[in-house]
Amino acid sequence: MANKAYRPTAVITHWLIAVSIFFLFISSWWMLALPLPGPEFQFRAFPFQLHKNLGITLVFLLFLLLYVRLRHRPVPEQSPAMKPWMHKLAAIDHVILYLVIFACCISGYISSSFSGWGTTLWWTVDLYHWGWEDEDLNMLFSDIHLWTCWALLGLIAVHISGAIYHAFGNDGIVRRMLRL
Amino acid sequence: MSENVENLETGPAWASALGVVAIVLGVLLVAAHGNEWLTQYTIPAVGETVSELPPADCPQDELEEEGLTVAQCEQMVSNLQSIRVSRPDWFRSSQLVVSAVGTGLAFLSILVGAALVNYRRWAAGAAVVVFGALVAVDVVTFITAVQTGPILRAMYLWDALLWFCLHLMMMLGAIVGAQHEQTA
Repeated sequence: MANKAYRPTAVITHWLIAVSIFFLFISSWWMLALPLPGPEFQFRAFPFQLHKNLGITLVFLLFLLLYVRLRHRPVPEQSPAMKPWMHKLAAIDHVILYLVIFACCISGYISSSFSGWGTTLWWTVDLYHWGWEDEDLNMLFSDIHLWTCWALLGLIAVHISGAIYHAFGNDGIVRRMLRL
Repeated sequence: MSENVENLETGPAWASALGVVAIVLGVLLVAAHGNEWLTQYTIPAVGETVSELPPADCPQDELEEEGLTVAQCEQMVSNLQSIRVSRPDWFRSSQLVVSAVGTGLAFLSILVGAALVNYRRWAAGAAVVVFGALVAVDVVTFITAVQTGPILRAMYLWDALLWFCLHLMMMLGAIVGAQHEQTA
């Protein structure tokens, strides 16, 4: 019998990435409304460190997911509910989704590197601060971070729409990413 | 042969539909409760620091970087101060506990949702328990916010009511599904 489901590692990683991405969105909207940093105001310090740590971890999770998915590829779904254009849309959405998640995380990291603020990975390891304080570069990568994240939200909407469509159709396709 | 080589035969449609709704809302709820925990953790109580926050620090370069006006920058401090002074003494610790419990239950609702989609026999019963617990968390959040004042009520009540309605519908769906399975 052909292998139809994804590996448990891929399933767990996929859902960790999903939860992390939504937490990063919601918390970033909230933390950017905190007072600007200054001698009297350090409210942003913890949320920003958490944001950066989760973003960096997300890149590792993304590579782990890609590694497991490429190493153990389930056979493509042959259900009659899966029309050819759906196969194409799903494939395109996945590729762009991975690229945009990567671009979103990396642009945020590079922007931070030119902000003058260091990063301590999960409050234990001081990451090498290769960047320098440069307002123009910080703003450039900050804008890229912003727009790639908005694009990511749109791609996620397409991704979730597909999952809900198949689950409501009860065609068994979403089970591929839900079975441990 | 690996366990995930088994075939992916379908279960009932209600379980698949309810399961995917539980998963999507569960992912959003983990983020929402996680952010509430972060909010309460980050903003100290009035008694822990100075009662009145100092004036906003709004350097021009930071304003340009974030696309803010001076008025918006100052308002950010006012918003924070309004949250601090609106919170009764017990509110912060209460919300830290409720949001931590809510985060755990939201993770559980993702697992239960996956079990529903995969149609495990125990999934309908577990869904009733987990969705019911989420309804209870929403009720506690609602009652907690009612006990505060107009500022926090405006921030919390609508969200709590919306989540309550969603979780109530999910719980009732799971109850009907479980009953249907018993009679089938």
